[in-house]
Amino acid sequence: MRDNENRILRLNAALDGELDAMSAFELERAMREDPALAAEYGRFAALREAVRRHAPRERAPRGLADRIAALAEPAAAAAPTTSAAILPFRRAAPSRARMFALAASIAACGFVAGAGFMALRAPGAPHSAADALVSDYARAEIAGAPFDVASSDRHTVKPWLAARTTVSPNIVDLAAAGFPLVGGRVAVVDRIPAPTLVYRHNEHLVAVTELPPDAKGVQPGEGTRTIDGYHVARWSDANLAYVAVSDMDEKTLADFVAAFRGERSPATEAPRR
Amino acid sequence: MSDAQRRFRDIVLPLLDDAYALAKWLCLNGADAEDIVQEAAIRALKALETHDVERPKAWFLMIVRNTAMTWMAKNRGKTLTYVGDTTDLDAIDQPFGDSAPDPETALIALEDGERVRQAIADLPAPLREALIMRDVNGLSYSDIAGAMGAPIGTVMSRLARARAALAKALRS
Repeated sequence: MRDNENRILRLNAALDGELDAMSAFELERAMREDPALAAEYGRFAALREAVRRHAPRERAPRGLADRIAALAEPAAAAAPTTSAAILPFRRAAPSRARMFALAASIAACGFVAGAGFMALRAPGAPHSAADALVSDYARAEIAGAPFDVASSDRHTVKPWLAARTTVSPNIVDLAAAGFPLVGGRVAVVDRIPAPTLVYRHNEHLVAVTELPPDAKGVQPGEGTRTIDGYHVARWSDANLAYVAVSDMDEKTLADFVAAFRGERSPATEAPRR
Repeated sequence: MSDAQRRFRDIVLPLLDDAYALAKWLCLNGADAEDIVQEAAIRALKALETHDVERPKAWFLMIVRNTAMTWMAKNRGKTLTYVGDTTDLDAIDQPFGDSAPDPETALIALEDGERVRQAIADLPAPLREALIMRDVNGLSYSDIAGAMGAPIGTVMSRLARARAALAKALRS
């Protein structure tokens, strides 16, 4: 029974891009050796595809969207955003008062419960994109999770990233240059999710984040820096700005950047969607 | 416009489709889903007055989910509380049957949108919730675990059970 359970959990986690690199590798090998396992994976994949196709994310009704947008209007939002302490002094309309009382009571328990695990922070000081990405890199390294989707197959990594970010990532194959792709993750720069590709070189990793050129904190042009011991290279092309963070030495990082940019010759530069 | 309102506009408004889809699949009723999302939005705006959030989607959908739970408990007199862990998975035997199903039949069932949607609606609520957060909202396992307040093993178990149950429903 335990084997059955583990197999099904693993197939589902693989489907969801939630396996770590080693487990993904082992499963890929097992599927090559066991056609029945590969077929079972295929059926789970077909099922998920059917769910996504037939249960699409439904659009919020226009009226609802308008009512909620009104909460952010300076005039209309006076009552809901007024703090609970002064509310009793206002004579709010009954419906709004009822709504507010509900919201306040639920907010008290629900939000506290949420704060326990969701990373909350006070509004932060401005940072350069490079600083934010070095923190992101260090955090991922310490957590032992350098990527959210582990795959050397760019046809797996690209849709995973495309579904979670606003930039459609272009993924180049640099295995021949000695930098195999190992996975991807989403870095958040100025609250915007940005696709990040992770390549390996020996035991070192390099994370390349692709950003819209006008994203806040992105410095124009190209250059290299060292922040907290990590080497950072930035450059841009017609469509995107790139920031690479690595624990490689400067020379190797420069080789990587040259290889990456070489693959982005004008012929391959057009955004693929 | 206050800072909280500005952030509300930037963070919450783009997530309304996700929120509505989640709420509707949780309560299986469009009008109720509108009430839930509106209530969740008010809670989110209130929260933004004192906090900033790092992962807006996971955060707001967690509020929607919690609001839906409270709303259903209050208005339908039942909660979606559900006890289960990975041992539940022992109950799943061969989701696709011992023998390979007739591929034609399986494909036809997956093409039938109404049947797929009905099978999802028929799932026990905790399984449906995991499936929707994953496949409709695209949340990661850890975000789903956070939103449900459940260990990640429970999320994995529910998701696997949801898909196995769907496979079974669509096979018959």
